[in-house]
Amino acid sequence: MRSKSLLVLGLLLAIASPDAQTVATATKAHVDFLASDKLEGREAGSNGERLAADYISAQLARIGARPLPGRADLFMPFEFTAGSRDGGSRMTVGGRVFTVPQVRALSFSDDAEVTGQVVFAGYGIVVPESQNFGYDSYATLDVKDKIVVVLRYFPEDADQQTRAILARYSDLRYKAMAARQRGARALLVVTGPRSPNAGELVPMTSDTAIAGSGIPAASVTGAVADALFAAGKPLRDVQQELDSGNPHVAGFDLAGVMASITTTVVRERKTARNILAYLPATSPNVTADKAWVVIGAHYDHLGHGDRGTSLAGRDEAGGIHHGADDNASGTAAVLAVADALAKFAQPRRRHVLIALWSAEEIGLVGSNAFVSTPPVPLNQIAAYINFDMVGRMQDNKLAVQASGSSPVWGRLLERANVAAGFDLAVQPDPYLPTDSASFNQAGVVTLNFTTGAHADYHKPSDTSDKINYEDLDRIVAMTASLIRSVADAEEAPLFTKVDQPASRGGTVAGLRVTTGTIPDYATEVKGLLLGGVTGGGPAEQSGLMKGDIIVEIAGQGIANIYDYTYALELLRVNQPVKVVYMRNGERRETMLTPAARR
Amino acid sequence: MHRLARLLCFVAVLLGAAPHAQETAERDFLSRVRRLTVEGRRAGEGYWSPDGQRIVFQSEREPGNPFYQIYALDFASGDTRRISPGHGKTTCAFFRPGTDQILFASTHHDPRSKMLQQEELDFRASGKERRYAWDYDPEFEIYAASERTGQLTRLTNARGYDAEASYSPDGQWIVFSSMRDAYNRSLSAAEQKQLEVDPSYFAEIYIMRADGSGQRRLTNAIGYDGGPFFSPDGSQVIWRRFDAQGLIADVWMMKPDGMNQRQITNFGAMSWAPYIHPSGAYILFASNKLGFENFEVFMVDIDGRKEPVRITYSDGFDGLPVPSPDGRRLAWTSSRGGGREGQLFLADWNHERALTALKMAPERK
Repeated sequence: MRSKSLLVLGLLLAIASPDAQTVATATKAHVDFLASDKLEGREAGSNGERLAADYISAQLARIGARPLPGRADLFMPFEFTAGSRDGGSRMTVGGRVFTVPQVRALSFSDDAEVTGQVVFAGYGIVVPESQNFGYDSYATLDVKDKIVVVLRYFPEDADQQTRAILARYSDLRYKAMAARQRGARALLVVTGPRSPNAGELVPMTSDTAIAGSGIPAASVTGAVADALFAAGKPLRDVQQELDSGNPHVAGFDLAGVMASITTTVVRERKTARNILAYLPATSPNVTADKAWVVIGAHYDHLGHGDRGTSLAGRDEAGGIHHGADDNASGTAAVLAVADALAKFAQPRRRHVLIALWSAEEIGLVGSNAFVSTPPVPLNQIAAYINFDMVGRMQDNKLAVQASGSSPVWGRLLERANVAAGFDLAVQPDPYLPTDSASFNQAGVVTLNFTTGAHADYHKPSDTSDKINYEDLDRIVAMTASLIRSVADAEEAPLFTKVDQPASRGGTVAGLRVTTGTIPDYATEVKGLLLGGVTGGGPAEQSGLMKGDIIVEIAGQGIANIYDYTYALELLRVNQPVKVVYMRNGERRETMLTPAARR
Repeated sequence: MHRLARLLCFVAVLLGAAPHAQETAERDFLSRVRRLTVEGRRAGEGYWSPDGQRIVFQSEREPGNPFYQIYALDFASGDTRRISPGHGKTTCAFFRPGTDQILFASTHHDPRSKMLQQEELDFRASGKERRYAWDYDPEFEIYAASERTGQLTRLTNARGYDAEASYSPDGQWIVFSSMRDAYNRSLSAAEQKQLEVDPSYFAEIYIMRADGSGQRRLTNAIGYDGGPFFSPDGSQVIWRRFDAQGLIADVWMMKPDGMNQRQITNFGAMSWAPYIHPSGAYILFASNKLGFENFEVFMVDIDGRKEPVRITYSDGFDGLPVPSPDGRRLAWTSSRGGGREGQLFLADWNHERALTALKMAPERK
């Protein structure tokens, strides 16, 4: 009922006032509906997501956008792995049988049943030769047709520099690949007694990859490890030797230990829907030079926040994550821009493709599905313009990201902003944690608009009443003008490949600690500006708050988010580190105690 | 740059450990802060057209030219067009009231100018970095460009940097800064050495008619005299004077005939780029009073009786403040957009709050 009445309301308003007011009102109505309880946080594949897609599709139809050529409707369904669980993995060693929860498949494991001699390969880390850093856990081992046991993480006592390098190759997928390449039959992972989460199993993540890793892989508890190591030195002692980081400490055969392992992973496959529509070119001379401009935003969010990226505090855990800013605001902006382009039909040499993505929150899955099976050729796309969290403007500040993807952006932004008058923060980096990155990887010129993170980010409290609609409408007006320029330009923007900063090799998967900080991506400062801190997290406990700028942590200077991510790799759970930060221009210090990230 | 020249070299290295902004204080005077220039590596020195509809500025955005060129931006259309020839170095433009002319300083007549562009590009491509330094190229001469015809008229012809020029409100006179004194006479050994180290030592304020005739020197003090502008009623010239070491600068005023030269500020810092608000009641200027690397915009009453009042609160560089002709907006150059280089910013200016703050400011110590 509620959705229906809102739809009707939107229609009435559209008829009643064909001016800028329409856009403003329609924007708020979109956010109000998408972020309402009824949609339950729009988790990809959920009923709420389906309702959202139906709403968006109806809005696009109202605007006058059409299905893409050759298609009957606006939906582009795609399958994804919504989650995985263990389907009954088991292991036999020395006559003893272990089942869940003593053993559990890793989420990327192949399903298989194997038997073999067991070999211990230390941390199972292989640093590529190109890194000029000799570390190969397999250097002296023959693991062919054997079951490899490795420790989780990376050597605990190594010096910072060594840890920094090893951390990058300690992701479990890397370890599985290294074992497979050497002919191992299976990989077992144990969290060493000297590591955080000692003896515990590795949680099954909602790994979004469809394919397995080509090897059965499981984690086992400390009790299983004890059974494996029963005949020789205790694992604690073995680990201690390895923990120095000395590359010459080798693994060894667990003499006479045979094991059988059966791995079963049940991957929950779900279907989500991208919504694709277009406004045809209006100019008599449609260009042959990249005839499409794509505008888009993801409309999915976290549902009840069950999947890891929720930052909900204990008291609000499991609640509906409304996602008003993330990213009902971007969805509303795209709809409003499309509306404006449809209504005021200035000449456009290019078609405007309108894309609303699902499954962004679990790894840009929807936009990746578009890029891997593009309904229009990617080399016919002049540019992709993305909106992700544009509803919380403060102090007139608007971040424009990925401007380095084309030399054309400086001029176009400058022109569009003369009338709009934003305090623009222009950031060249196109490697962003949002859907524009999928297009950048595919060699398409991109641009992303955002008003940045805030204290309600990824929490149930990201609600529609907190959206700054007045400024959201200004963003719509400015971007509509910018998109018009691109859509009607004689020449398509030139693509510039931006080098990925070297310090970014590390994977988030390698991170073992959390500091409970929420970076503010919208404002460019030297250091890490905090958009907020998670409730009860280490940062909050250390007295850090929104607006603080971290300039140093554990002796590492922090100039930007990448430095920070890099520095996190070096921190240890429960080991306090000094944090130097700026607050209101004053340099301060505090001690922060990182917590374990499960 | 120039109206500030060597200052910029500090700007380049600044942005080090910069304190966080207290924007609430800034909002007392500046609201709706917006970024005006985006294209190109850097931009600055924005000066308003007399009708307030346009702004002329310098920006490094010409393909193949790593030096500033002059552009005019139209607020109604958002269009920006180049005013200067496109090659060589340029700086410091100004609209001539009542005409279609815009003046600026340029080296485009120098036959080496394209070679110098290439040299600079090659240097950058090599990945090396140099401390930014305004080079006071002695080839700089002042030109007036007609927007209608595109015709360029050369107004100065003296070896030595001629730049930092601006028109009188009636468009009949130009005040400017020149280092010709270093080239039109024989220098002592000490002066010769000084010239090699820092030619700005020889910069003095000059005046000429709008057609370039009647060039006359107005100042005669060691240290860099530069950045002169007329007062809104044309009865005064305001400029900044550096000490011989080039570390301390203060705001000065005089009559256009060079008489009644008087020091307005005594702020014990690098205080420069003064511009008088159209009300005539106060002066906006930039100073690194709060830290050698942190330039902020300040204002001071027209006679300098009170302590200056701070206007901007942001990391790095804020300077070259220029109020709009109606006194309700402020254009300035700032690095607040991120990165090391400045861009032009614009904000609404609260004139009433400014007057109140000046009234409440303590007497100068």
